[in-house]
Amino acid sequence: MKILGISAHYHDSAAALVVDGVPAAAVQQERLSRHKHDAGFPLEAIEWCLDHAGVTTADLDAVVFYERSMLKLERILMCSLRSFPRSWRSFPHAIRNSLGEKVWVRGIIASYLGVPRRKIFFTGHHASHAAAAFFTAPTRRAAILTADGVGEWATLTVGRGERGAGGASSLSLTREIRFPHSLGMLYSTFTAYLGFPVNDGEYKVMGLAAYGRPTLCDAVRRVIRRTADGGFTLVPEYFEYQTSASRSFSPAFVDLFGPPRHPYDPIDLESSDGRRYADCAASVQRVLEDTLLDIARELRRETGLPDLCFGGGVALNGVANARLLAESGFERVFVPPAPGDAGCAVGAALYADRLYFKNADRDVPDHPFMGPGVDADELARVARDDGQRVEALDEPALLDRVADDLAAGRIVGWMDGATEFGPRALGHRSILAAPHSAEMRDRLNRDIKSREEFRPFAPVVPAEDAGRYFELPPGGLRLARFMSGVFPVRSEWRARLAAVTHVDGTARVQALDREMAPRLYALLGAYGRRSGIPVLLNTSFNVAGEPIVNRAIEGYSTYRRCGIDALVAGATLVTKPAVPRARSMKEAYS
Amino acid sequence: MDRVLRPVHRWVWSDTGRRVRKLLAFAEVETDGGRDILRAAEVTPDPLLRRLYLAHAIDELHHGVLFRERGAELLRERGGRAGALFNGNPLPGGHGLDDVSIEGEADARLLAFLHVAEKAAAGRFTIYRDLVADDPPTHAIFEEILRDEVFHMNYTYTQLARISPRAYRRQVWLARASRVWKRLLRLAAAVGALMGSAFLTVLYFVVLPPFAWWARRAGRREPAGWAPISAQADAPPTSQY
Repeated sequence: MKILGISAHYHDSAAALVVDGVPAAAVQQERLSRHKHDAGFPLEAIEWCLDHAGVTTADLDAVVFYERSMLKLERILMCSLRSFPRSWRSFPHAIRNSLGEKVWVRGIIASYLGVPRRKIFFTGHHASHAAAAFFTAPTRRAAILTADGVGEWATLTVGRGERGAGGASSLSLTREIRFPHSLGMLYSTFTAYLGFPVNDGEYKVMGLAAYGRPTLCDAVRRVIRRTADGGFTLVPEYFEYQTSASRSFSPAFVDLFGPPRHPYDPIDLESSDGRRYADCAASVQRVLEDTLLDIARELRRETGLPDLCFGGGVALNGVANARLLAESGFERVFVPPAPGDAGCAVGAALYADRLYFKNADRDVPDHPFMGPGVDADELARVARDDGQRVEALDEPALLDRVADDLAAGRIVGWMDGATEFGPRALGHRSILAAPHSAEMRDRLNRDIKSREEFRPFAPVVPAEDAGRYFELPPGGLRLARFMSGVFPVRSEWRARLAAVTHVDGTARVQALDREMAPRLYALLGAYGRRSGIPVLLNTSFNVAGEPIVNRAIEGYSTYRRCGIDALVAGATLVTKPAVPRARSMKEAYS
Repeated sequence: MDRVLRPVHRWVWSDTGRRVRKLLAFAEVETDGGRDILRAAEVTPDPLLRRLYLAHAIDELHHGVLFRERGAELLRERGGRAGALFNGNPLPGGHGLDDVSIEGEADARLLAFLHVAEKAAAGRFTIYRDLVADDPPTHAIFEEILRDEVFHMNYTYTQLARISPRAYRRQVWLARASRVWKRLLRLAAAVGALMGSAFLTVLYFVVLPPFAWWARRAGRREPAGWAPISAQADAPPTSQY
């Protein structure tokens, strides 16, 4: 059975193809369109998935959209009505926005893909998150927790899933917190307040939190209150996201926390404002963790299950995930590589396969590499055209050469096989560097990533060596598989892992299994033989404001315009010539 | 047109707040335009054009940085708070050349478009440079950008003549006409959006009040905290509700 899953229209559109119960292809639209967080209908992603699997639209048994769009419209209308007349400014915007493509999803899918309307299905937004988290996890039975900004009405759900011995599956979400009460919206509101873009800058808040002290928790708890049944509500007077299209926090929020940060203001942690911003970040982070933890503990008690599958955008918060693992009572916490809306494309398709069509459960690949591959020949051709130094090396020679370069302090763009599905670069589209010095972190932030100084970088380490350098609790290796948890760097190694150790002594570590990315694993070994530490700095292969690179040419253009010293795709190694040609060419035309 | 609008430009650049807003807006546009040209470099089959586009894109991205840093510097000097100037949550990643779909665009059309756009920008930036003579750092930024614009105008025209030797003048005229047409379309869309908003606002105040009363009443009845899930589980798989 061939089922196409689609997520679209809000942020991070994606398509995924499930063939006979197993994801065969999945890619985010942004990787193909090159527009970060592309929210458009993911036609290119769909075409790629179908082409990759050799499937035509006529072969599809079902197309599944990741949420119920009319239910979402109902929520938008209802919220406008409930906040009448304060919503008069946002109402026209909300209606115009919703009545475009977003409501006519069935017709759009039918017309774009030419599939009969009877083959078009819908799942609930949080059901898609839950399916993406549960059906991709190597567990038979698990409690399920999903949390994000908002889907249709739900913002947080709990339930359980089971993959039976006979192949039958069940997934039931039993209760939910409904909009406007939302942990995701709470965090996003602080993201906007701290001057970062919503749906993009939340991880900056998490990074900034480490610089602050949670001195404002009481103030945060005035805007989010716990309810007697263990849930929570957001106090409406502090928020404007229901009534305003341009601002999510209210004057009362500003009275409580002080003036917001301007997006162009640098964060100076020596200044009182800078410290206040960091304290705000630390406080909302702490309250988010505490709230999630209470909910997870209750879920653990309720289900009695040792495993938790956690999905939704909030599951990208690695610090919270690590606390869930350490303190909730669950023995293992599974977070998929794409827990956000993009992952819903996979979730919707799997949900339909297992629950609508009642197909037998199948184990799914336990890795994120489901996107387009990289063409080393394309890189070699283009680089030669431009006068770059191009070498084709066999595998051992290439690994030795790259390890030498890394040990010498050079920065390497690393492209290998199929691109990752999800926001993390997990070794197929990565920028790699030596993790030892703070200077390397500063150089990467300044010359390549063009991002804030306070942002940390992540390490990658062979799974069997992870415990030597990082304090991983039981179950930590699993969480670190997809870089989903933040764990302490062992104190004795912090000075030698300065580029990947955050100010609070932690790191968002990736523990790499040989089977998941064998070439990177071998490179870690080669680097370890040179430096004595088989750890590399691994950051996504992109620059600020751009999606992670996909094709070789995109990696090449990124390499050409920033401080990356060498670029690898397959057996091809490209390095820069002594004299850049662009300057002389420019002079010729000036 | 820009010469005619010189008094307006003078008014805009005479105030620090407006100057900051203008510089930061330019930062976004230059960065987004740079990304588009970068994409052109990635998709063109012509190696020479790829190198030129790449150099051009690097310039545009650099201009974005210059504008952003200067805008932020002026903002700090001014000491104004954010709320007065910017309330939105700008998402990164938008594309400045939104008139042009880079994928599938023929190089000749793109070069003509870039040539016309660069020429227009150079004219405007010359005026801006003269108007900020009292602000040496900003003046210097425009000077630097204008030097780059010479390269951009020259290579786009030369390359257009190379790849489309018989029709390059026509391509330039078509690009000019296309810019005018797209401006008209944008104006029409803005007027349409304004009319739509006005209609929806009237609808909001005339039709919605009774429904608003009902919705608020229903909202008050909703329990705080957890809600059991039932309706969603019962919805048929083909339902959008």
